[in-house]
Amino acid sequence: MNNYLLCIPALLFVVIFLFVPVIENIYYSFFKWDGLSEPIFIGVRNYIKVINDYSFVSSFINTMIWVIFTLIFPVFGGLLIAYYIRGLKFENFYKTIIYIPFTISFVATGVIWTYIYGRDLGVLNGILSIFGVDKINWLTNYPLNNFSLIIAWTWQQMGVNLVLYLMGLSTIPKEPVESAVIEGANKFQVFIYIIIPMLKPISVVVITMAMVNSFKVFDLIYVVTRGGPAKTTETLAITMFRESFVMFNMGYGSAISIILTAIILLISFIYMKNSLSTEAIHI
Amino acid sequence: MLFLCFLWLTPITTTLLVAFKSRTEYLNQKFYELPSAFGFFENLINSLESYRIHHHIGNSLFYAVTAGSLSIIFGAMAGYNLSRIKPKYNLLIFFIIYLGTVFPFQMYLIPLFKYYDKLNLYDTKTGMVLIYTALCIPFSLFVFRGYYNTMPKEVEEAAKIDGCGIYKTFLYIFLPNSIAPIAVVALFQMTFIWNDLLFGLVLSMSPDVRPVMVAVASMSGRSGGTMPWIMSTVILTSLPTILLFYLLKKHFITGMQMLLK
Repeated sequence: MNNYLLCIPALLFVVIFLFVPVIENIYYSFFKWDGLSEPIFIGVRNYIKVINDYSFVSSFINTMIWVIFTLIFPVFGGLLIAYYIRGLKFENFYKTIIYIPFTISFVATGVIWTYIYGRDLGVLNGILSIFGVDKINWLTNYPLNNFSLIIAWTWQQMGVNLVLYLMGLSTIPKEPVESAVIEGANKFQVFIYIIIPMLKPISVVVITMAMVNSFKVFDLIYVVTRGGPAKTTETLAITMFRESFVMFNMGYGSAISIILTAIILLISFIYMKNSLSTEAIHI
Repeated sequence: MLFLCFLWLTPITTTLLVAFKSRTEYLNQKFYELPSAFGFFENLINSLESYRIHHHIGNSLFYAVTAGSLSIIFGAMAGYNLSRIKPKYNLLIFFIIYLGTVFPFQMYLIPLFKYYDKLNLYDTKTGMVLIYTALCIPFSLFVFRGYYNTMPKEVEEAAKIDGCGIYKTFLYIFLPNSIAPIAVVALFQMTFIWNDLLFGLVLSMSPDVRPVMVAVASMSGRSGGTMPWIMSTVILTSLPTILLFYLLKKHFITGMQMLLK
């Protein structure tokens, strides 16, 4: 007993506040419940409902768009910038500037970009009006509004990927690169055939983290559009919130959260299995 | 590249610009025109009066310090336990706590909401501290366990010879040497708590309990609000995390490396 004493506070907290809720959440997902009256058992009806629910499907599509473009912009963009600035004289300066947005909260980022995307008084439309171009509805046009939000997200997230990739680049030994250059490879070929494969370990971390985070985005979207207009910027995380705490369809909300979790776990698992197995082949 | 940096900083510069404008200036000027007076503090005072931001700042500060400290203490204790004492179910316990990081927060929300309602924890400061502590413990455990794994055995044995049991060894030897992991956990978790929106939104209601980011979020939104006020508030509420990051910058790198292991 003595051996476990020090663990007990930590264990208690995690079991009571995190573990048990997960199990209860799974339980509630099989019920129809508004949070106040008695839950009604409906079996898997919640899960079947999602297929027919148009807002769920569009929310799911938006979520996938988020994940894909998070991989393209903050992750791959971070890699490109890391590769470019590495070894430059102002490397630390660039690094700090790109990283600064990561130090502020998602809410702050949301407010800042609400101003930039503002229709009448916003920065971007202000720039456009200087050139005599019509105002653009950055936040109300679907699908543009999703991309507007993704850009804001990129602005904030690029920094952390940049830092991680810079760390990864510093672990690459010089010899393979040098010998490739001697054999006539240009910068582009070096990048594709040597750098990227050797960055595999850290790429797994960066990509997994970025993917999981992009599934979970809530604060940014909530602050800027609340998921609107007309649910066009909703992702699964927002849909779950709306169904549970605005519409009070708590059983349905539970089901959505479980589907979201399942997708996250599945994709992380598939991705990691894939990258780790190919690495084993190399060895 | 310099152009990219300029582009990158633009959101921040425009925010600063707006925060200094008075309300009429904001509504009538072009976005790039400079404000005439130093309206920043006036904006801040207005928003403090209308939205009582100072209440929310106090709340978040309290949560960050209390829950952060608790998660550091409990994480250190558990980390030491799993790392040095190595009880029989070592990995199982670690795994259970690790599960705390696997699920998106949405999994916890509904049951917690119901719990809190039943236990009268809804809309209480205690309730917020408890959930924040629970959320921060897994990461804290990772960091401390990893750190204690790197401490040499000789230190422990020297302590044993001097007559220290497991608890004394922890208190007088391991803990005082833990400045690095404490800094890392403090940086990441206090920032997380300060920046939280979701749990504050769901588990609290009154200005006495609500954390600061929920207040900022409710100031904004599509009804518009008063931009200069909101912007000055955003700047004010972002300063603590920026400051914390700047102070603990070197520990940040260490933290990243630990994350990678």
